[in-house]
Amino acid sequence: MAGVRETQKLETRRKVLEAARDLFNEIGYEETTIRAVAERAGVSVGSVFTTFASKADVLSQVMDDRVDALYAELEHVARHMRGSVVDRLCSLFAIHYDFECRRVRLFLAHIAASYSPSLEPSTVPYGRNARFKDMIVDMLRDGQAKGEVRDDADLEIVLDTLMAAYAWNYRLAATGRADSAGMTDIMERQIRLIFAGLQPR
Amino acid sequence: MNHIPMRMHAPAVRPQKMTRRALAKQQTREKVLQSARDLFIERGYEGATIRDIARAAGMSTGAVFASFTDKNELFDAILNDDFAALVEPMQDAVIGAANAREALVGMFGAAYRMHAHQLPLIQAALAASWTRTPEAERLRRESMRPMRSLVLEVLERGVERGELAAKFDLRVIADLLWDLFLAGYRPAAFDGLSVENQTEKLAERVDVVLAAVKA
Repeated sequence: MAGVRETQKLETRRKVLEAARDLFNEIGYEETTIRAVAERAGVSVGSVFTTFASKADVLSQVMDDRVDALYAELEHVARHMRGSVVDRLCSLFAIHYDFECRRVRLFLAHIAASYSPSLEPSTVPYGRNARFKDMIVDMLRDGQAKGEVRDDADLEIVLDTLMAAYAWNYRLAATGRADSAGMTDIMERQIRLIFAGLQPR
Repeated sequence: MNHIPMRMHAPAVRPQKMTRRALAKQQTREKVLQSARDLFIERGYEGATIRDIARAAGMSTGAVFASFTDKNELFDAILNDDFAALVEPMQDAVIGAANAREALVGMFGAAYRMHAHQLPLIQAALAASWTRTPEAERLRRESMRPMRSLVLEVLERGVERGELAAKFDLRVIADLLWDLFLAGYRPAAFDGLSVENQTEKLAERVDVVLAAVKA
C-alpha cells in the first residue's frame, strides 16, 4: 500500500506549492510565512517541513514546476519556429516575459532570492536553469550553421550577455516602468544590437 | 574587520557653525553607520539586527532609532554612501583611458575593486533591489545617476573620436552596459571569482556590445 502514501505525499506537495505560488505573488515572498502557506493549503505546518527544507526551497520548487510545463511546450515549438535567429530569439524572450508577467511579483521574488547567501543545496536559484540556456545556445548554433552568426563568436559569452540583458529588464517591471510588451520591445533592441556585432565579416 | 572603509572617515561637509547638539547627533549617526556597515558585511542584511548594531556602536537601540526609522533606511543610507564614493574612482579610470573599451572596463573594474571586500553587503543590496518601494528605488536611481551618465559620456566621446559609429541609440547601449556591470557581481558572489577574473569576464561582455558599434 505504499502507493497510497506516495499519492498523499504528492497531493500535499501540490497543495503547498499552489498555495505558496499564490501567496508569494499576492502579498510578497518576505511577508509570507510557512504557517500562512500551510493554512491556505489546508495542511499542517509539520507536513510542509517534511516535504520542504525551507521557504526558499518552496519558492525554488514553485518556480521549477512552473517552468516545467512551459519548457515542455517551448522545446517542441522552438524547433518549428521560423525566421532568422534574431526573430526566433525575440519570440523566445517575448514568450518568457509574457509568461512571467502573469505573476511578476513571484518572479521578482525568485530573482531576489537567488542573491541569498544561504541557499539550501536542493534549491535551484534563478539563472541556473539549464533548459532555457540550452534552447538559446541551440538557436545560436543554428545561426552559425546558416551563416547568420560569425563562426568565431564565443557563444557562451553571447549567451551570458543575452541572459543578463533579459534578467535586468525585469527591473522595469519591478519599478512599474514597463509591462511585458515594454520589456519585449527593449529586449528586441538589445538583441538586434548584439547581433549587429555578430554578423560574419 | 579588516576591510578598507570607503571614505567613511572623510570629513563630511558641515555648516560652519553647528550647534553642539547637532554635532552630537551627526556623530551618533556616523557611529551607527560604521557599526552597521561592519555587521552587514559580516552577517548580511538579515543576519544583522538593530540590537546588534546598537551594541556594537555602544548605544541603546533607542538612540539608533533616533537617527534611522528602521533597518532598511539604515541599509539604504550605507549603500547610497558607497555608490556616491564610486563616482571619483570611476571618473579617474575614464580620464586615464585611451579608448572607450578601456574607459568602460576601467570604471567598472574600479567599482568591483572597491566592493570586493564587502560582497555580502552588495549581495544583500542586489537582492533587496528587486522588491524595493518606488520611493527607495527613486532615491537609488538618483544616487547612481552620475555613474550612469558617465557611461553615456564615454560612448559619446567614442563617437566624437570616430572610434564608435553612431548607428545605435547610445542610451540603449549605455543601459545595457550598466546592466551587464551589475550582473557581473553575481559570479563574484556565487563562484568566488577574484576581482581580476570578474573584470575580465565583464570585459568579454563589453566587447560583445562594442562589436556592434565599432566604427
